[in-house]
Amino acid sequence: MAISRRTLLRSATAAGALMAAGQIFAPDQVSAPAIAQNKPLRIGILAPRSGIAAGPGENGIRATQWAADRFNRDGGIAGRKVELVIEEETSPKDTIERFSKLVQQEKVDCTMGIISTGVGLALGPVVEEARALTIYWDGTTQDGVDEKIPNPRYLFRSTDNECEAIMSSLLAIKHWKGQFVTIAGINPDYSYGRNNMAAFVALLKRFNIDHKVVTEQWPKVGTMDLTSHVAALKAAKPDLIFSSLLFADLPVFMKQAHAAELTKGTKLVFPAAGWQHTLMKKEFTPEGMLFGHNTLYFANPNASPLAKEFVSWYESTHKDYPNWEADRAYFAIASYKAAVEKAAKAKGGAWPTQDDVIGAIEGLQIDSLGGKGGWRKDHIADQTFVQGFTTHDNKYDFVTLGSFESMYSTDLQKPGGANFWEWIKTAEFKV
Amino acid sequence: MSAYANILLGGVFHAAVLFLVAAGLQLVFGVQKIVNLACGSFYALGAYFGITLIGYANQYGLSPWLLLPGLLVAGLVVGLVGLPIERLLRSVYGRDESFQLLLTFALLLMFQDVFRFFWGPNPRTLDSGYLIYGTISAGDLSVPVYNLLVIAAAILAAIGVGGFLQRTNYGRILRATAENRAMAEALGVDVRRVYALVFTAGTILGTTAGALIVPTAAASLDMAIEFVIEAFAVVVIGGLGSMRGALAGALVVGLIRAVSITVFPELEVLSIYVIVIAVLLIRPAGLFGTQTG
Repeated sequence: MAISRRTLLRSATAAGALMAAGQIFAPDQVSAPAIAQNKPLRIGILAPRSGIAAGPGENGIRATQWAADRFNRDGGIAGRKVELVIEEETSPKDTIERFSKLVQQEKVDCTMGIISTGVGLALGPVVEEARALTIYWDGTTQDGVDEKIPNPRYLFRSTDNECEAIMSSLLAIKHWKGQFVTIAGINPDYSYGRNNMAAFVALLKRFNIDHKVVTEQWPKVGTMDLTSHVAALKAAKPDLIFSSLLFADLPVFMKQAHAAELTKGTKLVFPAAGWQHTLMKKEFTPEGMLFGHNTLYFANPNASPLAKEFVSWYESTHKDYPNWEADRAYFAIASYKAAVEKAAKAKGGAWPTQDDVIGAIEGLQIDSLGGKGGWRKDHIADQTFVQGFTTHDNKYDFVTLGSFESMYSTDLQKPGGANFWEWIKTAEFKV
Repeated sequence: MSAYANILLGGVFHAAVLFLVAAGLQLVFGVQKIVNLACGSFYALGAYFGITLIGYANQYGLSPWLLLPGLLVAGLVVGLVGLPIERLLRSVYGRDESFQLLLTFALLLMFQDVFRFFWGPNPRTLDSGYLIYGTISAGDLSVPVYNLLVIAAAILAAIGVGGFLQRTNYGRILRATAENRAMAEALGVDVRRVYALVFTAGTILGTTAGALIVPTAAASLDMAIEFVIEAFAVVVIGGLGSMRGALAGALVVGLIRAVSITVFPELEVLSIYVIVIAVLLIRPAGLFGTQTG
């Protein structure tokens, strides 16, 4: 049979169309329509790149880039390549302007990031007004511990900032009950530090732990000379010091406290120390302090192969070890990927709408770098927290954890709509 | 008793570092009439450079005992950056103060990006060395010798700068230029050279303060802005342009801060600015400043 050139072209086109259709509608594969596949999926990132939170911001950006590259190597998200548009998180006002730019000019499909509580709180209503899907890495939409956006539609936000303080308090009570009476605090002077200290004291009361607060220090974030604070703490002679210092002031405090021999014989509870873990050198950070790594402990021997791969990449690429902000960022982008693909699959391969993706995130469970995580119906994350006692027995020049415990945030976080302080009084804690 | 000594020494240590930065600020204003907002950047530059230099020196086997001299060298060397910056400032000499403020504020912000470019966004610390000179302990009193050495360095700087200004010919020339630039110039003083020297000396005081603080603290992107605010509180209390004022102002700020942290931690910042306001109301020129206008 003679085949004309026109017939051959027609057949080839038809065969191509059939193959494409087969790919789109194959039951086990999720694939987007060709028109969507041609256009990269744009994800906006808002993260601090300067100032006191620059380090954690960089951790988050690096983890997001790692994840995006990994997704792209495997075909992207539901068949679309991922393209990141990174903007800096600074003041609430400027960050809101950059968010608007991402949504209106850059036409991003989703925005992620935000570390500062102040920025998160201010940006929350703007996200809702813009109707633009946004996933916070950290920060919160709480004023103190009162939720200001109880039932957001477009905003998904991280676990409560107080989770780590709750966990540290529970561990301190579990391991040191009866070994301390006088307690002192040195916490950053904003809602995070204030709430954490108050939560610790509230839990001591809840568990009828006899205690006396001998001094509370509230240095401004970023204070680099803490010798006077150390002197004041020393004068108060506490059995235990609770501190949620977490910026560059944390290693400075440890250094100065060690030099003044404040750490000798004093129990130390530091729920947020993992944010600066590589700066917590053995020379001045004692063994046996209660140390929080939040949702990512880079040296966790029980970590998943994915987490180990990430830590290894981070170490070889950046000559550094990631902190929990890397996990928060990975959790955000991995959640988005899982939700898009789940929603696309539910639609038989058609590209999902934003509402479809939002619906898919609610109740989603994923494996993040730090362990299992998920999303509540009220758009608040649940994640796995790690804290333990420091050791010098490692290959690094900074402390790691000797013994440690993991807790899921369902045991550390108030349920939706609950009052934090009332919840502490009545919650069933697993100590 | 030893608790009070700890608190007192904490305050004096803070005052010592503040004095070095404020002294640079005072020297520059006293002679050049420039309010140098970039003084905080010089402090941060000294800190970053000190960490880098000591890091390299350690790799090449520098004795840990040479930490303090090494940091002093770092402060002195990097302080020479004052020379090219002074050239830049020449464009605003004799112009409205707002130009000087804007230019030095721009430098403050630009330096932050310079630090990020060379040293990255993460805080940088010296991994070891703070306790190399040991600790003096007596009862509950425990003071790192390094802190005492920094206090001594600040006292020596105060004596040195004071002696230079009061007892040397060049000091007299500087004071004459500060009093009346035109007359000094008419009498043959090379004012450009004087300005370059003064600005560089002021920069060196700032960079040395930054270098000296690194064993106890961390270098971070925000430290410049953080410190410049306190340095100006010192200047307002002591009197703009006065070296004795810098010393007195630094001691007032350091000690008030230490006491309030111990007695009323909530009032740490407020207590300093209550003093600032009181000085502005009762003696607007500051404790050692000269009333003008």
